[in-house]
Amino acid sequence: MQKKTILRVLTVAMLCGSALLASCGRATTVSGVLRVANDAGFGGAETMDPYDGNRTWPTINMVFDRLIGVDKDFTPIPELALSWSSNDDLSEWTLVLREGVKFHDGSDFTADDVVYSINRMIDPEFDSPVRAVLGVIEAVEAIDDYTVKLSLSTGEADLPSLLADYRALMTPVDSQATIGKKPIGTGPFKMKTFDPEGTTVLVANEDYFFGKPQLSMIEIITFADSQSAAQALAGDQVDLLLSIDGKSSSIFGDTAKFTLQTIPSGDWNAIDFRVDRHPFDDVRVRKALRIAADRQIIADAVLGVGGGVVACDTPVWTADPYRWDGPCAKDTEGAKALLAEAGFPDGIDIEIWTSDVEVHMVELVEAYQQQVKDAGIRVIIKMADASGFWDDVWMKESAFVDSWGQRPAAQVLNEVYRSTAAWNPTGQVDVALDAMLDDARSTQDLAQRKQKYIAIQEHLFENSAIFLPYHKTLTRVMSSKVQGIDPIVIDAVRWEKISVS
Amino acid sequence: MLFTLGAFVSLAVLSFLGIDALPGDGCTALLGRFGTPAKVAECREEHQLTDPVIVRLGNWANDVVHGDLGYSIKRDEQVAQIVLPRIRNTAMLAVVAALMAFPSAIVAGLLIGRYPQSRIGRAINTLGVVAMTLPEFVIATILWLVFSIWIPIFPGVTVVPSNATVVELLPHIWMPALTLAAVVFAHSMRTMKAGVTTIQLMPFVESARLRGTKERVTLLRHILPAALPPVVNTIAVDAAWLLTGTFVTEAVFNYRGLGRLAIDAISDRDTAVILPIVLFGLGVYLTMSLIADMVVRLLDPRLKQHRS
Repeated sequence: MQKKTILRVLTVAMLCGSALLASCGRATTVSGVLRVANDAGFGGAETMDPYDGNRTWPTINMVFDRLIGVDKDFTPIPELALSWSSNDDLSEWTLVLREGVKFHDGSDFTADDVVYSINRMIDPEFDSPVRAVLGVIEAVEAIDDYTVKLSLSTGEADLPSLLADYRALMTPVDSQATIGKKPIGTGPFKMKTFDPEGTTVLVANEDYFFGKPQLSMIEIITFADSQSAAQALAGDQVDLLLSIDGKSSSIFGDTAKFTLQTIPSGDWNAIDFRVDRHPFDDVRVRKALRIAADRQIIADAVLGVGGGVVACDTPVWTADPYRWDGPCAKDTEGAKALLAEAGFPDGIDIEIWTSDVEVHMVELVEAYQQQVKDAGIRVIIKMADASGFWDDVWMKESAFVDSWGQRPAAQVLNEVYRSTAAWNPTGQVDVALDAMLDDARSTQDLAQRKQKYIAIQEHLFENSAIFLPYHKTLTRVMSSKVQGIDPIVIDAVRWEKISVS
Repeated sequence: MLFTLGAFVSLAVLSFLGIDALPGDGCTALLGRFGTPAKVAECREEHQLTDPVIVRLGNWANDVVHGDLGYSIKRDEQVAQIVLPRIRNTAMLAVVAALMAFPSAIVAGLLIGRYPQSRIGRAINTLGVVAMTLPEFVIATILWLVFSIWIPIFPGVTVVPSNATVVELLPHIWMPALTLAAVVFAHSMRTMKAGVTTIQLMPFVESARLRGTKERVTLLRHILPAALPPVVNTIAVDAAWLLTGTFVTEAVFNYRGLGRLAIDAISDRDTAVILPIVLFGLGVYLTMSLIADMVVRLLDPRLKQHRS
C-alpha cells in the first residue's frame, strides 16, 4: 500500500514538474528584446568578418557601420563619413569622417581604421567578395585623423552608392585575426555571444552615435528549415522573419498579430546562354530566345502572383535611379522570324541545365519551356545535382539557370556583363558595351549619366545572352509588436530605431 | 568481436570512399559559388585534400585511434565539439520518446489482445495504426497545431543552441518526442497484441485458467512473459531508429540532433563529421540487437536450458 502511495506521489510530482518546465521554456515576447529568425545560410561556416564570403547577415549590419548608408529612396546618406567630394574626372574622392565615434572596446574611430578596412576589402590576396564592388579603389590614404582620400583606377560617379554596400563596413585596425568570432564595431549593437548555428545575442550600444537604440537586446536564432522558422513566429517564439516564401504568407493573415511587408528587391533569376557555343553565338538566336516568352506569366508562375516585377533583361532593379523599363512584350512571330533568318525555319532544340540548389531555379526553366513552345523553341530540361551545380554546370554548360542578389547598377553591370569580369557567366565579349560602361560611370552630370545607363540596358536587350525575366519581391513578416522596420530592403533598415512593445 | 570490428572498419572505408566519389569536397563547399580555382587550390593544400584518398583515410584512422576525431573544414571547429553535444541531444530525445512509447505500447497491446471487443482498445489500435502510416511531418504538424497553437502548453520549435544545458533543452523535447513516440508506438503495440491473441488460446493458458488462477495473474504471469520476446526485438529496432533516423522530426521542430547534422555534413562533404555519425549509427544497431538477444534469453526459459 505504501509503495503505491509513493508511486502516486512520484507520478504527480513528475507531471507537475514537466508542466512547469514546459511553461518556463515557452518564451514569449519580452519588451525591448527582438528575436530574429535567421536561416543557416552557410551551415556553420558563418563569420562576423564582413569581408569574408561567409559573412553572417544581417548580424554584421547591427555591429558595424558603413562610411555611407542609404535612405529609403536609396540615396546615399552620411553614416561614419559626414561628407564626400570628388575631383573633376571622378577618380579621386575625399571623405570627411564623423568625429568622436568610439568602437565597442572604447577606442576611437579614425582615418587609420578606414585605411585598414578598405585595404582589406580590396586586397587581391584575400580576394574579398567586396572587391567585386569596390575594386575600382586603387589606393586609400589618411590625410589627417578624420579625412581620407580614395584614388580610383577609373572615374566612378556612383562611388557613394558602392560604398553603401552592406558589407563595406568599418572594422578596427589589425582586427583580422579576431573579428570573425569576437567582432568590435561602432554599430548600434555589441556582440555578447556569437553562435551561428544556435542563438547569437547582441546588446545595445548605449553610446551609439545615432542615438541609444530602442531595444536592449537582439537575439538571432538560427533555423535550418524555413518551415520551422515560420512555426516559431506563429507560436510567438520569434518576432521577425526576414523573408518567407510569398506562397506561404497566408498563414500570417491575422493582421492583429502579424505585420506582412512586401519589399521590391534587386534579386533576380536568369537563363544564361554561352555565346562561345553554337547556336548562341548568333545574336538573332539569342534575341529570339529572349523575346519568345511572356515575362509576366513566368514571374507569376515561378514566384506567385505579385511575387516579382518584370525585367526586360536588365539587371538594374526597380528602385535603382538608372532602371530601364522596356518594353519587352512576348513576340512569338518576331522570334520565329529571327530563328528562320538565323537558319532555323523549323524551330530549334536546346538543352537548359538547372538544379534545386536554390529556390525558383527549376520552376523558372519549366515556365520558360512552356512559354517558348509557340515560337518553335523546344527546351529539354537537364537536372544537375545541387552540390555540383555552381562548380560543374554554371558558366560551363551551354545554357543554365542563374541567380544573383541585389546590386546597384554600376556594380551589377560591371560584375556580370563586362567582357573581362571574372563571373561573366555567358563569356560574352562586347567591346562596345565595355566602352559604354566606362563612359557612363565617368559622367558627372546625373541626368546625362542616367541616359547613358538606359542606353546600356537597351543595348543589352538587343545583344545580351542573359534572359532575365524578373526581379523578386520579398515578403517579410513580423509580430505586430515590432515597430520601426520600414518596408525596404534590410540593408537600409536602421536597427537602432526598432522597438518591441 | 572480430565481426564487429570488421563491420566498423568496412563501414568507415566505404563511407570515406563514398564521400570522396561525390562531386566537390570540403573546400568547394566552404568557398561556395564564388570560390576561385586559386583559392580552392590553396584551401585543399592547407587541409591536405590533395593527398590520395588512401593516405587521407590512413591519417584519419591514425588520429581516431589516438583519440582525435579530426577537424571540420566547413565549421572551423574540432569534430568532437560538434558531434558530442548532438549525440547527447539525440540520445535525450530518444530516451524520452522511448519512455513515452514502449511501456504504454506493451500495456495497450496486452489489454487489446486480451479484450479485443473493447471500444477504447479499438480506438487506440486505430489511432496507433493511423500514426504509424502517416508521414512524420504530418504528425508533427498536427501535434504542433494542437499543443503549441490551439492549446499552447509546449514550445513549438527548439530555440536553444545545441550545447544548451539539459534543463534549458528539456521544455523543447516534448513535441518531437511525442511525434516520434506516435510513429513507433503501433509497431510494438501490434506485435504485442498479435502475440497475446495467439498465446491466450494455447494449452498452458487454458490449463492455468482451469486451475482457477485469477485472470490478472494469468495475464501477467503466463501470457505477458510468453508474448514479450518478439516485442523486445521490435523495440530494439525502433529504439535504434530513434537514435539514428529522426532527421525529419528534428528538422520540423528545429531540434539540434544528429540527423540534421548528418544531412548538412554530407552536403558539405565534411568527411570528418560524417564518419563518427555513421559509425555511431552502426554501434547503435549492433548494441541494440545485442541487448535484445540478452533480454529475450532472460525472458525465455527454453533458451536458458538449451545453453546448459
